[in-house]
Amino acid sequence: MHRDARRTLGGDPWFVTGAALALLLGLLVVAGPFFAVHDPHDMSFRPLSAPSTEHWLGTNDGGMDILSELLHGIRNTVVFGLVTGMIALVVGVLIGLVCAWFGGVTDHALMRFSDILLAVPSVMILILVAAFFRPSPLVLSLVLAGLSWPTTAKAIRAQALVVKKSVHVVAARQMGASGAYIITRHLMPELFPLYLIGFAAKARMAMFMEASLSFLGLFDPSRKSLGMMISYALKYYYLDIWWNWLIPPILCLTLLIMAVTFLAVSLEKVFDPRLKEAL
Amino acid sequence: MKHSQRNSRHRQYIVAYLLAALVMMYVSYSVPRWLPGDFVTAMYSSSHVTLNAEQEADLRAYYTQRQGFGRYLVDFFTLNWGYSYAFLTPISELIREALPWTLLLLGTAHLLSMVVGFLAGVEAAWRRGRVIEKAGVGSMTVLEGFPEIGTAVILLLVFALHLGWFPAAGGETAYVEQSFGRWALDVTHHLALPLLTLLLAYFPGNFLLTRGSMVMVLKEHFIETARAKGLPSLRIRYAHAARNALLPMVTRFGLRIAFMVTGALVVETIYAYPGLGTLLFNAIAMRDLPLIQGIVLLSSLMVLFVNLALEFVYGWIDPRVKHAS
Repeated sequence: MHRDARRTLGGDPWFVTGAALALLLGLLVVAGPFFAVHDPHDMSFRPLSAPSTEHWLGTNDGGMDILSELLHGIRNTVVFGLVTGMIALVVGVLIGLVCAWFGGVTDHALMRFSDILLAVPSVMILILVAAFFRPSPLVLSLVLAGLSWPTTAKAIRAQALVVKKSVHVVAARQMGASGAYIITRHLMPELFPLYLIGFAAKARMAMFMEASLSFLGLFDPSRKSLGMMISYALKYYYLDIWWNWLIPPILCLTLLIMAVTFLAVSLEKVFDPRLKEAL
Repeated sequence: MKHSQRNSRHRQYIVAYLLAALVMMYVSYSVPRWLPGDFVTAMYSSSHVTLNAEQEADLRAYYTQRQGFGRYLVDFFTLNWGYSYAFLTPISELIREALPWTLLLLGTAHLLSMVVGFLAGVEAAWRRGRVIEKAGVGSMTVLEGFPEIGTAVILLLVFALHLGWFPAAGGETAYVEQSFGRWALDVTHHLALPLLTLLLAYFPGNFLLTRGSMVMVLKEHFIETARAKGLPSLRIRYAHAARNALLPMVTRFGLRIAFMVTGALVVETIYAYPGLGTLLFNAIAMRDLPLIQGIVLLSSLMVLFVNLALEFVYGWIDPRVKHAS
């Protein structure tokens, strides 16, 4: 199944496009700081100067190099998305497996709890926490992950129940395999495609939220972010800075969201057993 | 058996929404209490305003008058939501002014994108494999990748600032006395760009979801039976198939709400539309904590209410749920 999946993924144009875009942006994230010759917080340059060989994208109203800001901004958005996606995935997988394995009261209680979390609009809690406590981005990503694990947990639980009843797992149990053995050797590896789906969907949501909330001014203003750059640049739209200050962060953000969307859509299409037919 | 299961799922979700509403109220009630110090220090420690001892004591008295959660709930339901510092106005009044604009914008956007997205999705699934369907799926997937910040700023730059076809801010032309017809036209003119942005954001999801589930439904045996009976294709498509393709729209709506609400906030802010989103943005910028709290709580409850209403609509449309109850 996994080998087939690799072949199907490689043949899916959405996956190829998404992966290529993600690779490009990943390169920017990793190598970005080496290109950023200036410190993005350095305010010693002439404000609002046009692009030059010194500042490829010019400088902003505070005399900061826009290219360096941009490279650090992408990095912050991507890291926020990946960290949130990772935490939500780990929590979701653990809870999903616990529910499927133990069943009974544990399962029932955790699933009803996740129904409630699913109904709570996570943006609103995030806004409340960000506005009141001004926490670090890590705390915000923890909060977001803590609110968004239920979808993954439900998907994992449903599929784990199927695997648990499948013939080879029953056989393994009859041969005396322990619970720990079945969970680590059968359940966890066989659910791997669901991890990818869950991770891509969560990372996409987290990046979108980070950009939007930083646009609204809910993150530390000294932390560079694509959303914040757009919000600052928009105030100077009348100065003809749109092509060097406003469009670059918009372009980067759009490419980023597009890359993760394509990956998420294609992973879901290829791996979700229910959607396979709808290809 | 299947019916009662479906029915209990229905009941479970309704209970979950009610509990979620209670959780939101409790969080909103207790967040200020978790702050080190209190509302007054939180508001003024980082602002330029200096208070004398008497003012501080008065403010503190005002903010600590609410004792328990019960009292908070009573205040909430009697619209006694406190006082905004930045606007020096009761919060309930600010929200009452902003709410109709948000309802107009979001209501129109959701209604249009759902109805049109659903119809387009059903038609696309019916024409599966043809060029037009493939083109639709492709362009909608691309559109799904555009964040609202990007589309909003670009539409604003091109159509409002460069071409000047649409106003760049506000919900109506201020200080003008005009007849109702002209006023309605003016409001529509202001609504056009934010609405278009939201439609571009909401439509693809509805279209793709409906198409996906419709493709599955069309494979069912009862569709074959309907075809064999020689029913007209329009009747098969809508009376038989489309009803059953509705479930994902309802179940996924709750999951997509995070995106939708965040997007709406950003869009309102970019177009300076006078709704709750812009009010929240201003409240954040001025660190008006009571106002933020009020808007957040009210919008969360509205989101929950919409979810709950959809759950009922779904039960009403889907024959399996209806007959079970």
